[in-house]
Amino acid sequence: MLFKIIGSIIVILSCSFLGYILARDCTKRPQQLRELQGLLQMLENQMTYLSDVLVEAFERISRVGGETGVFFKTAADILKNKSAENACFAWEQAVNRCIRMTALNREDEQILLSFGKSLGNTDLEGQIKNIRLTLGQLAIQEKKAEEDRKKNENMYRSLGLIGGAAIVIVLL
Amino acid sequence: MRTGADGSLYAKCTSSLKNDVLPLLSKRVAEAVGAVIGHGIGTLEEIRLRAEKPLILQNYDREWFIGSDGLPSSKPEGSFIVTQDDIRTTVELMSENSIYAYQEAIRSGYITIKGGHRVGIAGRAVLDGTSVKSIKDISGLNIRLSNQIFGCSLKILRYIIKSNTDIYNTLIISPPQCGKTTILRDIARNLADGVPGMGFRGIKVAIVDERSEIAACLKGVPQNDVGLRTDVLDGCPKNIGMKMMIRSMSPKVIITDEIGNDGDREAVHNVLNAGVRIITSAHGYNISELKSRKEVLMLVEDKVFDRYIVLDDSRGPGTLKEIVDGRSMKVMTGADQDAV
Repeated sequence: MLFKIIGSIIVILSCSFLGYILARDCTKRPQQLRELQGLLQMLENQMTYLSDVLVEAFERISRVGGETGVFFKTAADILKNKSAENACFAWEQAVNRCIRMTALNREDEQILLSFGKSLGNTDLEGQIKNIRLTLGQLAIQEKKAEEDRKKNENMYRSLGLIGGAAIVIVLL
Repeated sequence: MRTGADGSLYAKCTSSLKNDVLPLLSKRVAEAVGAVIGHGIGTLEEIRLRAEKPLILQNYDREWFIGSDGLPSSKPEGSFIVTQDDIRTTVELMSENSIYAYQEAIRSGYITIKGGHRVGIAGRAVLDGTSVKSIKDISGLNIRLSNQIFGCSLKILRYIIKSNTDIYNTLIISPPQCGKTTILRDIARNLADGVPGMGFRGIKVAIVDERSEIAACLKGVPQNDVGLRTDVLDGCPKNIGMKMMIRSMSPKVIITDEIGNDGDREAVHNVLNAGVRIITSAHGYNISELKSRKEVLMLVEDKVFDRYIVLDDSRGPGTLKEIVDGRSMKVMTGADQDAV
């Protein structure tokens, strides 16, 4: 009987832990989208007021850190060792390489990729327009992600607990 | 100053071409140009890229195409053709993938790259009212290789130096592409560093480099050696810049290129009134031709300059034609002298 009780507790705990992890991913995505918007805003300031070239701007941004800083770090590295022909390809490679390290989804990835298309190859006005457009799109994504979070966070958590309890009942 | 025959100069220019210029060209063009260097084309002065046209390498006395066999050829038929893509990639590389950061440079028509080389840009101008806002659809690049020639002004310096810390106000007159700027740069370097051979001690030099040609600044740092007591004001209109430098840097001499715009006369007088010497240059073939230009004529009539130095390219760029005393207008030395 003791074993059964201990076993049941382990099952319930691990299921609710699983639910907790899934729920945490839900909170991560809006957080990272928010962070990304902050970093892009920084990029805009650096282009406007410091006239930094892309590599310098990216490096400075990546030093601010955050989980999405990894895109900028990777792109700066690619540009520095000249393994991509231009900024667009470098950004594309960086996004492809790093998207899995973040909680961002397919839609977010598409937005980031299209952001890269005119990266560095227009005048300041064009760059700012591009950044603003991306910021707008990311804000919409953030709102959606926030709604998803509200919906799913509790669901995953309770689902974990309930699922664990259900398994225990079936097994008992 | 004559190039090509001088082995060490050739080696120096070629290494700067390989290290500073080739990495900024599109891969295809860089490979083609890299392959012809050292095939007896001498010291290059210009590399010209025009969209859908043959690539042209310009020496001081002739031009080369790149033949289909990858060797220099004198005929344009079947030679290496530059594509619009090559030009776009090259511009992206030269601006470090950050055209927005080089906007100011592109607007003025040229980018300065590492090593002091300057890249002229032609394309479609985007206007904002009456001023050029940017250049888009870039279709032509002229990479002007800067060849610093140390000591090319030594012959001239004898006539410029007055005492061990003082010099004469000097105007250098020369047609385009005859080494005017190169000589001006060497004068700046020698005056700032001092010329021990002539007992001349270094003096404070201020360069007003309106077109970034003399010092070729990249992010404010002169890419050319302009001497250790030299301050450079880059990209500033001459007439404003001269006044600024007198006030801010207390120079002994101001050096600037291509005088003759409105307002230059007043600025030169400002310099002289402050007790500062001036060395400058003007486009022209001889003194009498200069007089047809109002602003310069007035400076000549004011007897501002103590020395006129006339250059031509009869024996290679930078050949000294004559040196004229500004007060007596007597020729001090003529064309019988060697090339400088």
